Amino acid sequence: MSTASRQQGGFVEQGFREMSVALAARGVSKSFGGLKAVQDFTLELPTGSLRGLIGPNGAGKTTVFNLLTGVYQPDVGVVELGGQSILGLRPSKIASLGMARTFQNIRLFGELSVLDNVKLACHVRAEQSMLGAILRTAFSRNEEAAIEAKARRLLQLFDLDDRRDEAGRNLPYGDQRRLEIARALATNPKVLLLDEPAAGMNPQEKLALRALIRRVRDEFGVTILLIEHDMGLVMDICEHITVLDHGAVISRGTPQQVQEDPKVIEAYLGVAEESEKQ
Amino acid sequence: MPTHVLVARAALPFLVSLLLALLLHFGVARFLDDYDRGLVMSVGINIMLAVSLTMVNGFTGQFSIGHAGFLGVGGYVAGAVTYATSLKLYGDLETRGSMLSGTSLNVDPATLSWFGQGDLLFVASLLAGGCAAALIGYVVGLPSLRLRGDYLAIVTLGFGEIVRVLIQRTDKTAALQAWDRVHPGVPAPEGVSRVFAIENSVLDPATGLSQTTYTAVSDANWFEIAPRVGGSLGFSAVPDYTSIFWVVLFAGVTIAVASRIKRSTFGRAFLSIREDEIASEAMGVDTVRYKVRAFVIAAFFAGLAGGLFAHFKSMNPNEIGFARSFDIVIMVVLGGLGSISGASIAAIIVTLLPEWLRGLDQYRMIIWALALILMMIFRPQGLLGVREIWDKALWQGLVRFIKREKSSPKAGGGA
Repeated sequence: MSTASRQQGGFVEQGFREMSVALAARGVSKSFGGLKAVQDFTLELPTGSLRGLIGPNGAGKTTVFNLLTGVYQPDVGVVELGGQSILGLRPSKIASLGMARTFQNIRLFGELSVLDNVKLACHVRAEQSMLGAILRTAFSRNEEAAIEAKARRLLQLFDLDDRRDEAGRNLPYGDQRRLEIARALATNPKVLLLDEPAAGMNPQEKLALRALIRRVRDEFGVTILLIEHDMGLVMDICEHITVLDHGAVISRGTPQQVQEDPKVIEAYLGVAEESEKQ
Repeated sequence: MPTHVLVARAALPFLVSLLLALLLHFGVARFLDDYDRGLVMSVGINIMLAVSLTMVNGFTGQFSIGHAGFLGVGGYVAGAVTYATSLKLYGDLETRGSMLSGTSLNVDPATLSWFGQGDLLFVASLLAGGCAAALIGYVVGLPSLRLRGDYLAIVTLGFGEIVRVLIQRTDKTAALQAWDRVHPGVPAPEGVSRVFAIENSVLDPATGLSQTTYTAVSDANWFEIAPRVGGSLGFSAVPDYTSIFWVVLFAGVTIAVASRIKRSTFGRAFLSIREDEIASEAMGVDTVRYKVRAFVIAAFFAGLAGGLFAHFKSMNPNEIGFARSFDIVIMVVLGGLGSISGASIAAIIVTLLPEWLRGLDQYRMIIWALALILMMIFRPQGLLGVREIWDKALWQGLVRFIKREKSSPKAGGGA
């Protein structure tokens, strides 16, 4: 339908609206044996938006990320990246289509240097052939130089350039989190999924991270979805929040709306009777 | 930079290999006896095997313990190509080499050319062996590299054993042995020259006894010139083309290719699989595809090494078994998983040390095993870890380590 409407030319707005959804999940469910980890999950990320996904521990937030990035395949439902279905694709293919993520439990390439961590992520956009790399052709040489320059720029932006030769695992915790974001950005993503980027950071680092996430969205034009437990950070930077509990969406809206939703309060604090029983 | 400088820099490691090969072949080889020359060639072949396995076990972090199987595939295919082609084209198994060939040292150099027909045949058969091994590597790798860790190790072990047992059980081809082997010293029948006769055993229906006839090879078609694979006796009838020149050249090329890959974007892709497969996949590295790629490249170079071995020593099942595979794994682990120069140094040590310890007689294997155990206790990451001998970081680390030892001599440990 979208192709037809775009061809007619008169429905620019409709075409534009469809293009402007960077990532969409519709009716996605996933069970592990008898456990319904995610049920009928629906989410739309307009291009350039910065949205949040919150919920109590075990609500299924990370499972949602794994479903969006192809680590798990949904039992039912559709996931679309830029209007194109990405069901059944390997995570590497989805990354090459423009989705990048960070991990809740940091997954850096520990033995590789900070610089190489970022350079590796540029690989997905590399065009040289392996034979070219072995023969060190001019094309391969130029591309390697471009990768190096791009990685250095990213590291400078993230204040990590001074530590570029250190092994990834030797960085302090907060730096490792920022390196993961830098690495994800090096894949030139359209959509960036951040899984608890502020976990383990001290208050100063969290403040800097807020500014950084905003800057990333503005400078790189990426659409961001973040999972975070730090409510101050989520409420401050997210334009729209989806709340998940027991695998189902219980609320969605602006930070203000979500904060006032009784279901959200119940999910986080529990209702009075329940806590008395315990 | 001008084009010719770029081309020169691109070709540099290959040119250095060539120069080193020429230097050793013409400068050093003549002053060595046969035994030492054999040792140098063994070292070179082991470097090729260790460096190629480094691409699988070191770069991508898979655990393959059947690498000698690829040595076997490459060796037997390359040997068979040279054997059959020599008989078909020349009618004998003489070496038609040049100054570069293994047999050149026993001949007056003035009578030899720079590059003979035989050298061409030799290189072609090496490439055939390498490609055959790479093909088998692909066939084995595609399904099995979806497995991880121990499971993959068992599949590769099984592959190596299959190759060994297949070779060991080739008695039927061994029956097609040439005249000189079956009847040593017995004059060949009229019209059939000594080497290139093929023995055919036919059961006479009248008498029930087998009758033996001989076909001259020039009349035989390609398929009848079955290589004397020789089962457990070994495949020894391959002309000895391998020389220090060829071994050093190919070892140099192997090291150059491996280090170029390691330093490129593909090397980072391989290493990222080793570090964290899930993150690597999430960053856009098709991990299955890259694991298969590493496996195929490693198999190719192991096949080349096998070809060099076949044209130097006798291929036999013991050389391609489980023990040989383990020797190669030891080289890779000892050198440091992922270090090309480390694997090369370890290949030199693993090849030469047992020879030097020969004087200690039966104690040498105990000392050797003890050395390996101590190594794993005090330096589990291997000699060089993931670094290369030409990495600045390695030497900086060493300087830091020495300084720290000096400042606090009691702070022990071998980290």
